[in-house]
Amino acid sequence: MDFIFNYYFDFKNYVFSDGHFADLMRGFWYTIKLLVIAGILSLLWGLVLAVLRQSRAKAMAPLRWLTIAYIDIFRGIPLLMVLLLVSGVSIFGAPISGEILPKELVSPTWLGQPSPFWYGIAALTITYGAYMAEVYRAGIEAVPEGQMEAARSLGMSHSDAMRYVIVPQAVRKVIPPLLNDLIALMKDTSLVAFIGLIELTQAGRDIQAETYNGSAIVFGALLYLALTIPMARVVDILIAREQRRTRRGGGEGPAEVEPLPVGGSPAGGPL
Amino acid sequence: MSGEPILRLENVHKRFGKLEVLRGINLDVGRGEVVCVIGPSGSGKSTLLRCINLLEPPEQGRIFLDGDEITAIARSDRVDEVRQRMGMVFQQFNLFPHKSALENVCLAQVKVLGRDEREARGRAEALLARVGLADKLDEYPDRLSGGQQQRVAIARALAMDPHVMLFDEVTSALDPELVKDVLDVMRELAAEGMTMVVVTHEMGFAREVGSKVVFMDGGVVVEEGAPAEVLDSPRHERTQRFLGRVLEH
Repeated sequence: MDFIFNYYFDFKNYVFSDGHFADLMRGFWYTIKLLVIAGILSLLWGLVLAVLRQSRAKAMAPLRWLTIAYIDIFRGIPLLMVLLLVSGVSIFGAPISGEILPKELVSPTWLGQPSPFWYGIAALTITYGAYMAEVYRAGIEAVPEGQMEAARSLGMSHSDAMRYVIVPQAVRKVIPPLLNDLIALMKDTSLVAFIGLIELTQAGRDIQAETYNGSAIVFGALLYLALTIPMARVVDILIAREQRRTRRGGGEGPAEVEPLPVGGSPAGGPL
Repeated sequence: MSGEPILRLENVHKRFGKLEVLRGINLDVGRGEVVCVIGPSGSGKSTLLRCINLLEPPEQGRIFLDGDEITAIARSDRVDEVRQRMGMVFQQFNLFPHKSALENVCLAQVKVLGRDEREARGRAEALLARVGLADKLDEYPDRLSGGQQQRVAIARALAMDPHVMLFDEVTSALDPELVKDVLDVMRELAAEGMTMVVVTHEMGFAREVGSKVVFMDGGVVVEEGAPAEVLDSPRHERTQRFLGRVLEH
């Protein structure tokens, strides 16, 4: 059994030595920044997509179809491919864009990040925006139709009704599944290693390659868990609270809608 | 009733797929009148209200509000303006669950009428006091009984200063002991001269408060007249049969 300890859990010799810990934490910091920035951007982008998809005006029809196509495409192809396309050959990419776009736009460095970081943000946002759009959509559709009718009967326009009445209720209903998507996004940040960013997984991998020992990888796994497990507990608490609220609100009140189940997350082998 | 009707329906038709729910409705509602619409379920009563409010624009026929033909603009942006002039109260209350009673009454005042927050708040407090909920301003809908929720919904509609109020079976989803509070509010409104179209199963209310009772069946107006006439000595066999069934118990 010593073998197991020596290969996987010997943090003293393989993590807290030779600057490995600092390397891992540098990687972890990238992972956190990817999670926070791509997380916030995809939450916003997903909401925009969901509202566009839900628009009813005739004039919006082309945009609605485009949105549906976007969501179908980016939910349907691996995040890794998006990452490779964004960083390699698209207009963001180095080979072509150097001639078309100014360098600052192609690889933004205002936050002191090398460009793989921003390609990673872009790819994660593109893909997770599509996933989250579907979560928001489920939330919007779960708001009883009477809410839209009540708002319209008061003279509110469709867009005002969406903004002040429907979307606030929809967002509340889908916070747990959205958090679940954020957990999945957190793990998928490791894919950005493919285009050269030394985030947490890659940092562990480098140490493993150097030392022929897996302890740094295990340590990295613990760091992921230190974030994902609390997030999972928050999801549980929010669901429990919503269920209590719903049960209490029963009786003769307006038919409350069950909170949407957490599920349909993209965590399912993105490779 | 003075001058031309505030609300006039001419030959209104509404179809859902193959089902023709309204088959040529004509109706005049004078200023200050309380028109009670009764009839069996599926007779098109609720659809009638939803057509008047343009939630379901009719396919055929014309509806006039204050002399303007509103059916002409049913599918334009101006429909929002028209709806401001009609308050609607729903069977299922449809309060905004993420907003307090006060916020429910304020929201459209601010976003639609452009009143400032303070003015809207003042109006909302006065209206909620009027419907007997002065002590529930900050409660959320899920903390209110059905009767209280429905009274908030009435205050919310009144806050827009509507010319006409439309009530769609507003007591049908309530426990019996909560019905009275809501009907009392409507009675008061009627006494103050509000023009109202009330789809209801409350025959007592129709008899006492209605200036006119309209009996609908199968998408047409079968009979209309003074409450005493229609309810006590209906001329049509269909009306007699319906009232017989309703008044039995």
